[in-house]
Amino acid sequence: MTGAVLEQTHGALTAGFREARAAWSLRATIAAAIVAAALLAPAVLPLSGRMPDIAAFVYLAVAAVGLAYAVGLAGIPSLGQGAFLGIGAFAEAIARAKGGWPLLPALLLGIGAAAAAGMLTGLATGRLRSAFVAVSTWILTWIVGLTLISFPGISGGAQGLVLPEAEVLGHPLGATAHYELGVALLVLVIVGYLIVAPRAPGLALAAARERSSAAVALGVPVARFRLGAFTTSAAIAGLAGALGVELAQVADPSGYDATLSFKLFVAVILGGARTPLGPVAGLLVISAFSHAAERVGALRGLPPGRLEEMLTGYGLLLVLGLGGAGLLPAVLASWRRFHRAPTRERPSAPGETLPKVEHPAPLTTRRLSKNFGSLVALAELDLELSPGSVHALIGPNGSGKTTALKLVVGDLRPDRGSVAVGGQALDDLTTRGRALEGIVGTQQTTEVFADLTVLESVLVGAGLRRSHAGIFRTLFATPKARRGAAAVRRKALSAIQFVGLEGELDRPSSELSAHEQRLLMLASGLATEPRVLLLDEPAAGAGPAELEHLADLLDRLRQKGLGLLVIEHNLRFVRRIADRVSVLEAGRLIASGSLAEVASDPAVRTAYLGRQRL
Amino acid sequence: MSLVVQVIVTGLAAGGVYGLVAVGHSLIYRLTGIVYFAFGDLVAFAVFATLLVAAGTAPVSRTSLAPGRFLLALVIGLVFCSAVGAATYVLFIEPYLLRGSTLGWVASTLAIAFALRGMMGATFTRPAYVFPDPLPFDELGRDGVVSLAGASIQVRSFFVIGLAAALAALAAWTLERTRYGRALQAIASDVEGARFVGLPVEALVALTFALVGALAALAAVVAAPSAPFSVETGTLLGLKGLVAAMIVRFGSPWAAFAAGLGVGLAEAAIDNLRIGDFGLGAQYGEILPLAFALALIAYRSLRAEPSAERA
Repeated sequence: MTGAVLEQTHGALTAGFREARAAWSLRATIAAAIVAAALLAPAVLPLSGRMPDIAAFVYLAVAAVGLAYAVGLAGIPSLGQGAFLGIGAFAEAIARAKGGWPLLPALLLGIGAAAAAGMLTGLATGRLRSAFVAVSTWILTWIVGLTLISFPGISGGAQGLVLPEAEVLGHPLGATAHYELGVALLVLVIVGYLIVAPRAPGLALAAARERSSAAVALGVPVARFRLGAFTTSAAIAGLAGALGVELAQVADPSGYDATLSFKLFVAVILGGARTPLGPVAGLLVISAFSHAAERVGALRGLPPGRLEEMLTGYGLLLVLGLGGAGLLPAVLASWRRFHRAPTRERPSAPGETLPKVEHPAPLTTRRLSKNFGSLVALAELDLELSPGSVHALIGPNGSGKTTALKLVVGDLRPDRGSVAVGGQALDDLTTRGRALEGIVGTQQTTEVFADLTVLESVLVGAGLRRSHAGIFRTLFATPKARRGAAAVRRKALSAIQFVGLEGELDRPSSELSAHEQRLLMLASGLATEPRVLLLDEPAAGAGPAELEHLADLLDRLRQKGLGLLVIEHNLRFVRRIADRVSVLEAGRLIASGSLAEVASDPAVRTAYLGRQRL
Repeated sequence: MSLVVQVIVTGLAAGGVYGLVAVGHSLIYRLTGIVYFAFGDLVAFAVFATLLVAAGTAPVSRTSLAPGRFLLALVIGLVFCSAVGAATYVLFIEPYLLRGSTLGWVASTLAIAFALRGMMGATFTRPAYVFPDPLPFDELGRDGVVSLAGASIQVRSFFVIGLAAALAALAAWTLERTRYGRALQAIASDVEGARFVGLPVEALVALTFALVGALAALAAVVAAPSAPFSVETGTLLGLKGLVAAMIVRFGSPWAAFAAGLGVGLAEAAIDNLRIGDFGLGAQYGEILPLAFALALIAYRSLRAEPSAERA
């Protein structure tokens, strides 16, 4: 028994080691060398006088990279990082100076307080459009800053709170030790970002950043992921703030005002939010501004703080005027232009075919109704979609087609009525819950995730049923997580091959033609392994050859046992694909049957088809 | 009783300025969907530019000003403020609106705010400035102070309230009754439609950035002598106006103005009123309205329909 376990462990370790060897590259060597040099610097260079400043800078850089988790990964415009830093700092300072807590519990309290504040803010603003997230976090920053200044009872007033000297194993924690700790933390948060960004949670966040509604439709738990990114970002700020006051041994209440939040936000935008090194580069630029401001200020007798604000403002405006991607990405892009690396050949997708639907089931709606105010959007809709068939929903604009689709996928809540698949009611399920039951709708099909490649876009959909993809398993790449990732990848590749995009795996999806984008979103939907797929005008804007291609794909999906509910305006296309047609007018179902039956229905003729020949 | 009267008058005078900033925030939000983080600093910019022309950066005594020079200074201050407002919109905000990039405009409006703050702070280096009074209020009452129901009140406060209300009325009237105002309403309800029928959308919005800045700045300049004015005062002015505008969901000019008055009243009441032994005191005056606004935003967010991602 023990022998088997040992053998397994040994096997896993050797395999891991072999993979690590294979993945090790020149870049990794350079990175390791830089980190080693940074850690050794205090022993070699005569820096001891400036060590506290340098260590403080490194802690600030940790908070800035933390902010990139929210701003870069999740696209949340957080202006509250300074507030979370201040909350961490003062939780630490109060526990240590007033409560007499030892170092470690106080640090945990600092992280916890900032994380809790971040989570509350995230929960409270999670459903807001991003403009209001910016406003809310900005208001939070002012509340925290003003509170610290106006309440000496909390913050110790003008002197601040003085902390007792921290000791680890009987040794005082000096500036150099703080520096080493800071560098180690900085490496950790950067590596964490690099691991998460290209994997399931990072891809899901990127998809949600671009097209939140389309990501939700594929069953991505957008709100949960965003909350996680925001909370993580706040927790990292709390840690940096707590360690910062340990370093200074005093917590200064005036140090956590709106300017600090602004500075951290600027560092992220200036350096580039989509790379974890960007914030560090941005912060370096700002500290250069700060030095310049001190020099000029001393020369002219001007307040350096204001000069620094001015230079930072101008610097950011300059970068924004130049396009706004940030300094580091701009430098990297021009570097790549000169040293164009040969694109790595990816083996084309193996001959995986899309499997048949495992548990085909009919979709039924009973008396489904929705009003918007006094407008009847949908009244008493009864629909039946059998597996392996294509059901087209047609009707004039505003007749309730898209409302019906949204009610079925759970994007809207009905006033009355119910939706069921295979006799099981779906009414209490969220969009994600319904996606897990196999009911998936794709949005207007040319909405792609612009920042992702073709493969990555489909991976977002394929990740729906993946287990072992939690953030910890992802970070530590456990064997289960890696097996899961491989299975998801196979699923994604087979969906891509089904629609015929296997030659474009690494192309950014924003570069695809309109038809390819249509196919891409179809593939993303298929990768979730649906039983019923709902398509909103899949053929909008397609040419004749493209229509034929699409119709052919839908035919083959029907043969695999998939139920397809298609909203469509193009009646030629409807005739080509649909087994059954339902006609809506002003929210009511006025006819249902084969296209021929529907077309001969007098109500339909007058309502909708009057001037159009079938 | 005398305290209540004092609180009401000073609260309304401060709130009148917040209200005009709120009118500006509402209009800008409804036209463009953005929140102009630099608004307060732009208003402060006008106030400081006026001071610079009227009296320089040296300490001013209250009576040292000729009305003609002040008028010139006021005009120059408002023109500068309008020009900066319109220029920053065209150069740094509109490009990001076209790209639909929230991060872009949040970053650029904040950058404008801090560039303005830094510029003002580097020119006016003392912590706060006492402004000269343009109008001879000190000749009314006792040195510009009258008694009302036992309370001593600056005469200027009544003038500020009146002017602010008149400016709010002007804004509302412009929006309802002029061709320019109707064009703005068209843009607010449907930008694409407005562009389609040939309205010069960008120019109209730029003009609005210029006008709302001048509107709030005019009231701020008149109110400035009531209390020491600093760079920070300007930023907070913008924030309080924003809070007022959010409370009424960026509604009509009258709603925004009323909300601004409410914020001013709440602030004055929290600062000064005591019920028995219990009084909150000045340190709560700025924080509580902000906290209230944050709580309100959270409440609205949590009540929204699951799919509706809006405020």
